[in-house]
Amino acid sequence: MSSRKIVIAGASDAGFKIALAAHAAGHDVTLVDEHPQALKDMSFDAPWFYGAGLPSALMNDNSIAQSVLEASPQLMECIEAGIDVRVSTVLWGAFRNGPNCLHVGRPKVGLVTREGNEILEHDALIIATGVRDFVPSFKGWELPGVLGGKAGLALLDLYQVFEGKRVVVLGSDELALRVVRSARERGVEVAGIVEPGESVVAGPEAAAWLAAQDIPVHLGQVIAEAIGKTAVTGVKLVSLDNRPSEEIACDTVAVAIATLPNIELPAAMGCEMHYVADAASWIPRTTAQGETSLEGVFWLSDAGGGNGDLHTAILDRIGGAERDSRVTAAPSRKVSATGYITSWIDALHKTGGDDVVLCQCETVSRAEFCGLAPPQYLGKSLRHPQTPLNHGDDATAPRINQDFMKRMTRVSMGHCQGKRCRDEAIFALSLRFGIGLESIRPASYRFPLRPIDLTLIADDDETDDIRLNWQMWPYETRQG
Amino acid sequence: MQSYDIIVVGAGILGLSTAYRAQKAGAKVLVLDAGATAYEASSRATGYLSLRGETPAESPLAQEAEKLWDGLDDELGYPTEWTQKGRIWAALDEHEFADLQKLYRTFQKTDVPFEFLDGATMRKMIPCLSERCLGGIWTNRSGHANPQRTSQAFGWAFTDLGGEIREYTPVLEVLVEAGKVKGVRTPQGEIHCGNVALCAAAHNPLLLKPFGIHFPLAPVRLEALVTTPMPPLFEQAFIGNGLSIRQTKRGNIHMNGGPYEWINLEIGREAAKPTTQTVRNIMRRAIETMPVLKGAQFLRCWAGIVDIAPDQMTTIHRFDSPEGLVTAACSGHGFGMSPAVGVAASELLMNGATRMPIEQLSLDRFRDTPSDWRERRRWEAGQYNT
Ligand SMILES: Cc1cc2nc3c(=O)[nH]c(=O)nc-3n(C[C@H](O)[C@H](O)[C@H](O)COP(=O)(O)OP(=O)(O)OC[C@H]3O[C@@H](n4cnc5c(N)ncnc54)[C@H](O)[C@@H]3O)c2cc1C
Repeated sequence: MSSRKIVIAGASDAGFKIALAAHAAGHDVTLVDEHPQALKDMSFDAPWFYGAGLPSALMNDNSIAQSVLEASPQLMECIEAGIDVRVSTVLWGAFRNGPNCLHVGRPKVGLVTREGNEILEHDALIIATGVRDFVPSFKGWELPGVLGGKAGLALLDLYQVFEGKRVVVLGSDELALRVVRSARERGVEVAGIVEPGESVVAGPEAAAWLAAQDIPVHLGQVIAEAIGKTAVTGVKLVSLDNRPSEEIACDTVAVAIATLPNIELPAAMGCEMHYVADAASWIPRTTAQGETSLEGVFWLSDAGGGNGDLHTAILDRIGGAERDSRVTAAPSRKVSATGYITSWIDALHKTGGDDVVLCQCETVSRAEFCGLAPPQYLGKSLRHPQTPLNHGDDATAPRINQDFMKRMTRVSMGHCQGKRCRDEAIFALSLRFGIGLESIRPASYRFPLRPIDLTLIADDDETDDIRLNWQMWPYETRQG
Repeated sequence: MQSYDIIVVGAGILGLSTAYRAQKAGAKVLVLDAGATAYEASSRATGYLSLRGETPAESPLAQEAEKLWDGLDDELGYPTEWTQKGRIWAALDEHEFADLQKLYRTFQKTDVPFEFLDGATMRKMIPCLSERCLGGIWTNRSGHANPQRTSQAFGWAFTDLGGEIREYTPVLEVLVEAGKVKGVRTPQGEIHCGNVALCAAAHNPLLLKPFGIHFPLAPVRLEALVTTPMPPLFEQAFIGNGLSIRQTKRGNIHMNGGPYEWINLEIGREAAKPTTQTVRNIMRRAIETMPVLKGAQFLRCWAGIVDIAPDQMTTIHRFDSPEGLVTAACSGHGFGMSPAVGVAASELLMNGATRMPIEQLSLDRFRDTPSDWRERRRWEAGQYNT
């Protein structure tokens, strides 16, 4: 088997494992991960939602790098094995020849760090980008102290700079329980768990453990508001059956409801996607060899990506085995993320009302979004009310187009490019207009996968060929 | 089967503008699109109104468009972000300066007041403009708007009047009986009508081919990007250093420019429009042009397809045979032209004639264009930067 150049995007558990396997099989592997992120990038809340309250200790790059190494034996193992590991490196784009695009040459990824950028050519790309936080809107969710479950775990375990003393956790599935355990291990008090359902989602054993630890579980309730002037000082809860509302003092609200797969890269590359209810997400269709609709581009989901047999099949394929075009089903989960997220959003929207800010970047409320209101800075309104519904002859066609909603309202069009709000926006539309999630065309993902300073990736080594042949539409062409 | 006076093929800005005018004039109009409303070029454009100094023969139509733009928000009832602050073509090197001087001589054949300015005067107008700017062309006429909002404004104004848009309904064929348009065929069946307007951009030639009609249009893919919002820098529609650069009302900086790739299309199918690593070259040029953009962040990039005729002019044509058929396409400047094209195309459909100045814009001018014109021009699919 000949050695291939393989780029692996994402040092997730699956990413580490396949990196080691590919390296052992004799391939030339580069493993890329954006963590630890620059502070500025963390403020975009992607993929982990840190919110506005980033601990100042994160400024110390060296000690952060040290903590990350200590907290991640897999990372050490990859480095020691001699794998080309690029941390704090954003893979911002991937480019390849394909229909209507024949001049890229070998497949390329664009990498960027705080120091500069590189275009890296390769034979195969394995996407193991893991998951991101799902954090829905509620009153006060922009306050410092509100963060996502993955962000909380990163601050607690990976960077070890968690500043909170008392945390309220939203959600009661595995993710929430992990946050509770990590918080307790670091001496952070857990002031309570909030769950709209009637029981702890992680199961009776988890419920018994929480009871034994004296951690109050607030069932049948959701958050009404994160209270505080400049930072969170508490939460106000609201019950779904009109019991009196409660307030709990805390300095952190960990929103550990769910995570969603990081699909930006395959989606922006144009991999064929399908809606998977269990994952509450569109994900790439893959073959038994983990290959997406794009040849040489592989997808390892967070749920099934650690599987060694799958890794062998991927590496065989990269090594030259025939493409096995049978499509595999996505691995199923214990709790359907779609159902659970829907229960949260339904409860939050019913109790929280319409004027809660849905899009933080552009300050747009739920009502403005669903009513297609033009952004306030235009100072203009719609002559007649409009609806986002598409009535067509084709029953298989999308009934709502999220790109259209975005273009009209600017929700998901700001700095974070929808990393905070795009998922909630789809659930909100689905609930409000009674349209299935799979009948909503999700907003398109585009490169770059993270906002990047122009100077960091502007091409300094432009060739004469590009320079001299640069033409421009529509005002000029060289007459042949 | 329900029947319509007019079926418009394509819910891009030209189709929607045509449909709006026709519905307003009393016709019963249906717009069909293979995909979603304004999902192709019309939502991917930078947003300038070109006054056609480049092709003076169509400048009168562009100036009609300009008049319509000035009242468009009120006409339609939905914001377009029209910003009437003039246009600038700036040269950053000697080569570009010479090109602009040549272009200026063409511009002077229009009755738009263009002026040639030196670099210092340009920098007074746009303080963030590079020291390297040697000068260029300016006019206080024209401006820019938001393509996505404007397309939808036409769409909403049209449906407010009772017009109907069906998305994801590609037209596979225009149906003709006894030399007259009878309707269209879609995967969901036939839909009947007395007139058809083909506003399907570079798909127009494919739908006309069965009638032996040759509409020379070459599709080309080009790339654009947008940055995070910046403080107010300039309001003019700016062209220079190989880029169009516009600042939106929100503050984002939009830009597009070469490189580009010639492609082919298939009837009723959305064409792939990937972006490439050359967005980095666009960024480099942007920084050269306005060094302040170093401080901006690259937010998003996309590609779109533009439909270029051999002479890069707009085409609006009413056919004698088959009867009841009109087509329009704008060679990559259809966004700005759209208000006037809609008036012209709808009047041609309903009255057989129009008050718009389109005498030189019919297909007749291509009578002698050879069928292998793309090959000769090196504009065939796969060719790059030619
Ligand atoms: C990057 C970029 C920048 C640009 N900048 C400017 C600018 O600054 N100023 C300017 O004036 N112009 C600009 N343009 C050009 C401008 O966008 C187009 O000229 C204009 O949008 C054309 O409108 P249209 O309605 O003809 O085409 P489109 O918007 O492409 O609409 C055509 C529609 O027809 C549909 N269709 C195709 N085939 C079928 C079928 N068989 N059945 C049903 N529907 C079909 C398509 O789905 C599509 O929606 C730019 C274009 C690009 C890509």
